[in-house]
Amino acid sequence: MQPVTITINQRVVSGHAGMTILEIARESKIDIPTLCDDSSLEPVGACRLCLVENEQSGALLASCVTAVSPGMIINTNSPRVLEHRKTIVKLLLASHPDACLVCDKGNRCRLRQIASTMNIGFNELEKIPQFAAIQELNPFITRDMAKCVLCGKCVRACREIVVEGAIDYYQRGFSAHPATLNDTPLERSPCTFCGACLALCPTGALMEKEVPFQGTTGSSVRTACAYCGCGCPITLEIKGRRVVRALPTKGDFFSNGALCIRGGFGYDYIHSKERLVAPLIKEGDHFKKVSWEVALKAASAGLNRVKSQFGPDAMAVFGSSKCTNEENYLLQRFARTVLKTNNIDNGSSPYNLAIRSGLGDTTGYLSTTNLLEALEEAELILVIGTDLTVTAPRAAYAVKRAVRNKQAKLILIEPRQTKLASFAHWWLRPEPGSEALLLNGMASVIIEEKLFNAEYVSRLTEGFSALADALKSFSLEAAAKDTHLPADEILSAARAYAGASKSAIVLGPGITCAASGIESIKALSNLALLTDNIWCSSCGIYSIQKDNNGMGACEIGSLPDFLPGYQPVADLTARNKFERLWQSELPANPGLSMAEALSRGKEIPLKALYVVGENPVLSLPQPRQTREALSSLDFLVVQDLFLTETAAFADVVFPAASFAEKEGSFTNFEGRINWLKQAIPPYGESLPDWEIVLRLAKEMGDQLPYSTLEQVITEIEEFVPLYEGYDHQEERPSEKWSHWEERRNLAFQSLAGFPRFSIPDCFSPPHKKPEEYPFCLVLEETLPFFGNGTRSGKARRLKTIYPPLLLKIGTDDAAKLALATGNAVRISSPFSQLNATVDICATLPPGMIALPASFPDAMDLFSPDMGKEKNLPPASFCYAQLERVSLDE
Amino acid sequence: MNKAQKEPEINPEVLLDIVTAYRRQKWSLIPLVQEIQAEFGYIPPQSIPLIADALKLFPSEVQGVISFYEQLYTEPRGKNIVRVCRGTACHVRGGKTVLKLVKQHLGLEENQTSDDLEYTLETVACLGICALSPTMIINKQVYGHMNPQKIKQLFKKE
Ligand code: SF4
Ligand code: SF4
Ligand code: SF4
Ligand code: FES
Ligand code: FES
Repeated sequence: MQPVTITINQRVVSGHAGMTILEIARESKIDIPTLCDDSSLEPVGACRLCLVENEQSGALLASCVTAVSPGMIINTNSPRVLEHRKTIVKLLLASHPDACLVCDKGNRCRLRQIASTMNIGFNELEKIPQFAAIQELNPFITRDMAKCVLCGKCVRACREIVVEGAIDYYQRGFSAHPATLNDTPLERSPCTFCGACLALCPTGALMEKEVPFQGTTGSSVRTACAYCGCGCPITLEIKGRRVVRALPTKGDFFSNGALCIRGGFGYDYIHSKERLVAPLIKEGDHFKKVSWEVALKAASAGLNRVKSQFGPDAMAVFGSSKCTNEENYLLQRFARTVLKTNNIDNGSSPYNLAIRSGLGDTTGYLSTTNLLEALEEAELILVIGTDLTVTAPRAAYAVKRAVRNKQAKLILIEPRQTKLASFAHWWLRPEPGSEALLLNGMASVIIEEKLFNAEYVSRLTEGFSALADALKSFSLEAAAKDTHLPADEILSAARAYAGASKSAIVLGPGITCAASGIESIKALSNLALLTDNIWCSSCGIYSIQKDNNGMGACEIGSLPDFLPGYQPVADLTARNKFERLWQSELPANPGLSMAEALSRGKEIPLKALYVVGENPVLSLPQPRQTREALSSLDFLVVQDLFLTETAAFADVVFPAASFAEKEGSFTNFEGRINWLKQAIPPYGESLPDWEIVLRLAKEMGDQLPYSTLEQVITEIEEFVPLYEGYDHQEERPSEKWSHWEERRNLAFQSLAGFPRFSIPDCFSPPHKKPEEYPFCLVLEETLPFFGNGTRSGKARRLKTIYPPLLLKIGTDDAAKLALATGNAVRISSPFSQLNATVDICATLPPGMIALPASFPDAMDLFSPDMGKEKNLPPASFCYAQLERVSLDE
Repeated sequence: MNKAQKEPEINPEVLLDIVTAYRRQKWSLIPLVQEIQAEFGYIPPQSIPLIADALKLFPSEVQGVISFYEQLYTEPRGKNIVRVCRGTACHVRGGKTVLKLVKQHLGLEENQTSDDLEYTLETVACLGICALSPTMIINKQVYGHMNPQKIKQLFKKE
């Protein structure tokens, strides 16, 4: 970039062509007040507060929108500038209520800061108050348009950052203000309460709705959101021992000014009255609060007893996709060296399995192949099997930005009308379960019409001719028939995918959790390989993770068949390496998965279980079986924030610290590392999970050789491939992310025989819809209800906007069954039945019905087989039947 | 804002046809809403989601643009648009009285439309024909040197 030198306030400063005067001034620490400018938004020059004088021409320029030109001489404080700036501030104050004293924005208000630095108090201008009703019915954002300075940050945030478009300017002149369609309150608009507008509003016009007045906070800590697999950097504002606010981390590329409702408003479960304050021991039917000493002794005695009586393999540990990498590392070591079993698993392993084997078999790389910033530059994005705006809001922002603001094309493959449908250029609604056939159909079009990158395919891939041969027998018509899609839809999607020069793929739980997930992922890989869209920039395959550390927990070895860094337990060299490191012989046979361990009701092979941060009663299908399994155990230790449905069965319960109360790292779905930083002391007597594991091991007479977290981190760095150099730094701007590069390089090194095409061996739907069960039932995630609700269910504000507990059915199906909204129905699957009230809903295709994931006992309907086999991911839907029942039944 | 009492019938098919012709032409918002207004006399609220969907814009964005331009109407307007001049020249020569009388005759306040959708009453800053002041305009017909007699003539009920 062309260097440019200019003079500001007699100082010579330099930057490069294309920068604005404001940017150069900021870099040189010259302060220019602004109201409408923000680094995460396109500048608009609306407030004029950033005026500066060009000393050569005498012109007054809005520095935020004026590009520098070489040799400019700028004065930011000339008498003329000051006079104008003062007038602007006075004018703003003239139509602003004198409410500073009672305004929760407090000292965070930019207008107030600017006025006071410029010595402007009450002024001579006549007050022209703008009257507006305060809107505060929703529990998240209060809007008081009387305090609006029309900087437009909220409108731009909503459109440019989160691409929701809930608000825009409305009307003109004096009555202009940001408004939703028809000026309705936010809760009756498409607003998702992501909080992007809230975080940027310079005044009290938009404020977080707090019951008690929080005002200015003393300190803040930069840490990471602990909900979904996006892992947004988050800044917690702290007052005393409480977190009072969660904001997107300023200036961080990844959060780029936005979180989602969970990150921004859902953190308050950490202050829930239901948090465990002390260790508990079961006495009869009751839990008794005890000291750590007593609880640890009891746990250690119980585990040791089972170990000596039934042997190590009668015991299991469930690590957690919500716990840190370091904690999972310790847990797997605890299972392997203290208990001496490979029965260690975590809640995300079934979801990771499909991607690990599907992508691993084709690309040689085991997870998402690129970063989100690259996704935003793609020319075409194919999104499949996910309601992305709900599962991974931050990833959805990237997709929507690419489409709406950067003219990317979107192929959406999803039967339900999700929010992304209105962004899609091609929207395909295949029969659930037939995705692999659709994708193979696209591949056969690409081969037949010679749309693939022949040069790349012949030079750098293997197995093309076998794929071409296999696909010869698979006609477009056959794909159309089995997917229930018009052939020309498949045709145009295939042409579009292959036609764009940079195509990216985003896949979600609808694929990774489907029975045919591995097949679908291999088919997706084939598409990407055919068109050279795996390793180039701005393309790749992005696999969405549900939990904050779903990736890390697996990579770090909380798996029954893998040691840390995906080194197979069965591999002697890998075992030897860790045996030397841990000075302990390791069990050689792969262990049981969580579902395998628990899905046999009373018949389970286990006697003792140590569950950390998972809630299998709610997360596995057939809760009844899980409950039976848990109650048949000899000994159960549970470690969590709350007395969960699982903890209710425990003999000993350890209170764990929340994400805001501890340190450690998470790996997000891209493979990016996020560091937690302690914001507040642990609640009550709770302790960080890693510390509890260490204490328990010590109590069991098998002290693990770590006394600090640092030591664990150093060991991981040294011994876990993928985590070499994931070093621990206080502040790590996520754009400077070298570790990720190393991960990818690692992938390239292991490329012998890769990438290669996967040859589909079967071209018929993996399962046929049984006639007696004509509907596909899906459990729908919603923004406020995360996972199984263990944490989000305790978040005060999120709870208020749970979806109603209704069964959604499409318009046509409802008509066929003569159902009306409000009718009662019985839903039966081969496994169970339950009653629900009908809600007719245009977003579902024929043959599909949906319950919210928060629906009690909905998991009863799902097959107990799901997730049972190590090579079978859980099902993303189940077959069901509906019949009308009378209300009093 | 107008106080329209009777919503005229909007033929949804006609509306959809107009909108569909502009699919995915983001830049053609203004010509599209103009065409809708030419057809129906105003931009009915139910057209906003359709426009947004066809042009791949946000409904709030479409509303923002429509509400920005004075020439785009979001409520039904009368068959006859009566505009009385409020400019300085007309003012000094009795424009105020003209407006008062017109209001009385039509039974309308400024920016209102009659129940039967016959008349909409508006005012303008200056019609640019001050020599004829006080002036008013009905649809495209200009009337100068207004006086109570002429007003009565113009609005006499058949
Ligand atoms: S509400 Fe806040 S962010 Fe939005 S325009 Fe007004 S002052 Fe700016
Ligand atoms: S909270 Fe988010 S979606 Fe709602 S108006 Fe603000 S930016 Fe838009
Ligand atoms: S997108 Fe995910 S990580 Fe980001 S704030 Fe929301 S829940 Fe947290
Ligand atoms: S900051 Fe430059 S015009 Fe508002
Ligand atoms: S002032 Fe009425 S026409 Fe000019």
